[in-house]
Amino acid sequence: MSATEIVFNDVSKFYGEVLGVNRVDLRIPPGITSLVGPNGSGKTTLMNLMAGLVHANNGTLTVRGISPRNPGELMKILGYATQYDAAPRGSTGFDFVLAGLLLHGYSKPDAERRAWAALERVSLTQAGNRKVAAYSKGMRQRVRLAQAIAHDPQVLILDEPLNGLDPLVRAETIALFREYAAGGRHVILSSHVLQEVDVFSDQVILIANGMIVAEGQIRNVREEMTEHPSQYLLQCRDAARVASLLFGETHVVEAKIDADGKTLLVMTKNRDAFSASLQQIALSGEEIESVLAADENVDALYEYLIGGRK
Amino acid sequence: MSVWAQIWTIARLELFRVFFSKRSFWVYGLALFPVVIFTGHAIDSKLRQQRWGEGSRITPAMMDSFREGVTEEEILEKAGTPQRDRKWTRRQRRNEDDEGPDRRRFMTFFDGKRQAQLNFSDGKLTSVRISPLLNFEEDRKIFAGVFQYFYLRLGIFFGCLGIFINLFRGEMLDRSLHYWFLAPVKREVLLLGKYLAGLIAAASIFTAGAALCFGALLFPHESGEVAAYLNSVGYEHLAWYMLAAALGCVGYGSVFLAAGLLLRNPIVPAVVLLLWEASNSFLPDMLQKLSVLHYLQSVCPVPAPIDSAAPALLRMLLSPAAPSSVWVAIAGLLGVTALVLFAASQAVRHLEINYGTE
Repeated sequence: MSATEIVFNDVSKFYGEVLGVNRVDLRIPPGITSLVGPNGSGKTTLMNLMAGLVHANNGTLTVRGISPRNPGELMKILGYATQYDAAPRGSTGFDFVLAGLLLHGYSKPDAERRAWAALERVSLTQAGNRKVAAYSKGMRQRVRLAQAIAHDPQVLILDEPLNGLDPLVRAETIALFREYAAGGRHVILSSHVLQEVDVFSDQVILIANGMIVAEGQIRNVREEMTEHPSQYLLQCRDAARVASLLFGETHVVEAKIDADGKTLLVMTKNRDAFSASLQQIALSGEEIESVLAADENVDALYEYLIGGRK
Repeated sequence: MSVWAQIWTIARLELFRVFFSKRSFWVYGLALFPVVIFTGHAIDSKLRQQRWGEGSRITPAMMDSFREGVTEEEILEKAGTPQRDRKWTRRQRRNEDDEGPDRRRFMTFFDGKRQAQLNFSDGKLTSVRISPLLNFEEDRKIFAGVFQYFYLRLGIFFGCLGIFINLFRGEMLDRSLHYWFLAPVKREVLLLGKYLAGLIAAASIFTAGAALCFGALLFPHESGEVAAYLNSVGYEHLAWYMLAAALGCVGYGSVFLAAGLLLRNPIVPAVVLLLWEASNSFLPDMLQKLSVLHYLQSVCPVPAPIDSAAPALLRMLLSPAAPSSVWVAIAGLLGVTALVLFAASQAVRHLEINYGTE
């Protein structure tokens, strides 16, 4: 039991005959963690297990040392914006956030102050007194986020939090995640927008068919995948010359020259050896403007690990 | 935050939704239906009183002096013009021996409180029926019947079904139950908070309905008669009726709250419980004590009348089981409720959010 991590120990969840997640062993440290996987892979089940909305059939699970079977304690440190696009009937955005805070035991004036502050953080102050039922999809997403952060939780769980947000609010929301994580808190989210996940996640958990396929920092996960050659994109003055030099190296599997003659895609089995070769070529006088890892991102990991199931 | 403060906060947040839920708005109809009936009866009685009071009256002594066999003329001479006078002729005689058509006449006299209906055949008084225009005693019995057969068995029963089953099941259908589960409160506390909200709403609606109905019962009767009744046992009766209504909400509320947690289809528990309650009087003593109605009937101040002309099976279904003493009944009902709420708390502790299967 860890007071700073979320720990899954051989956790399985079945919905009758249907598998939710199977034998999950995980330790999630503070920071931004993204759950990535196809629809029905078990992302929401993992989140619901952490929040105690569903219970594991096997195994044990603690969230910063607290069992999800103890909602009285757990919910003091946990905020969860679920995927369910509904709010209690007739409530305004402000009422919705306020109700949650009153249940946390805040006095009414304090709860009102916090509710407005939370709405302000998600840029929803002006619509606070409107009924949630009349909100757009993006606004509902934001009001759920406001409710989840209103009591300043240590663990923030967000199911597809960027869905339906416009680019500006999306950027603000990502900044909010970063701010939260910087304070040593957990921000756990699921997303299908892989490029974004790649940008702001400290670590990813790839999940498919209820099983954890990979977990860790994106670069580390990628390095472990030796069966897939690493891909690099090189910008150089003479791509053909650089390609010919690289072909002499045994670790280079493939090189493709772009039609412009200046872009080169290289696939290598040994990243360190590739790095050394590149240094050698540069020292020999060949001009290399930039080197970019082309598959060190969630999208590539997703493709390699989950592949056609995406 | 203490447990009681949490329960009250949950109840407060839930109350508005329970009182004004579109899904259970028909509950008001159930609570107010007998009020409408009794108010209609009261208004009709008042109007009749007023209409008859404006016509001719005879003395009570005169009314009591009507005897069969006297002629129409003698009655008219003694009593004057009747309030109502209808004549008709029956062409076909009942007995073949009689000759000619049968002249019939029907007169009604009023002495301020009672009406006498006089039937004449061929000019002779054949029957006299004297009945009070308003019969307080009879009205109270009717009220007891309506309260026990309609209000307790159907009104409060289905009203609680509408209110309590929606506390959890309704939120599952709306996909909003998880908001409650994400609050830092124990599930048992959440259950009690929601139960309290449902209880406040149901008890307010049905005790107010019972009180209004009681008021409508008293309304057309003479103020002196009403005052005498109220000062003797009337207020006590009203209090017991309201308590019975509130206890009905306590008992049925807990059962339907638990049913809403355990079952998806509310029709199933409703039918099962309705059959159980109806067949209560056939059951052994021990099982009778596991019925809400058994205790409620013991709390009612006036036994409900059973029409001797009703079919035997219906009479058996309606006849109450051997009553308990009032305090035993209250304690028993609270005991059954505690038992059911305990079972519900076990269910809610293991309840999972899985809207996909709803």
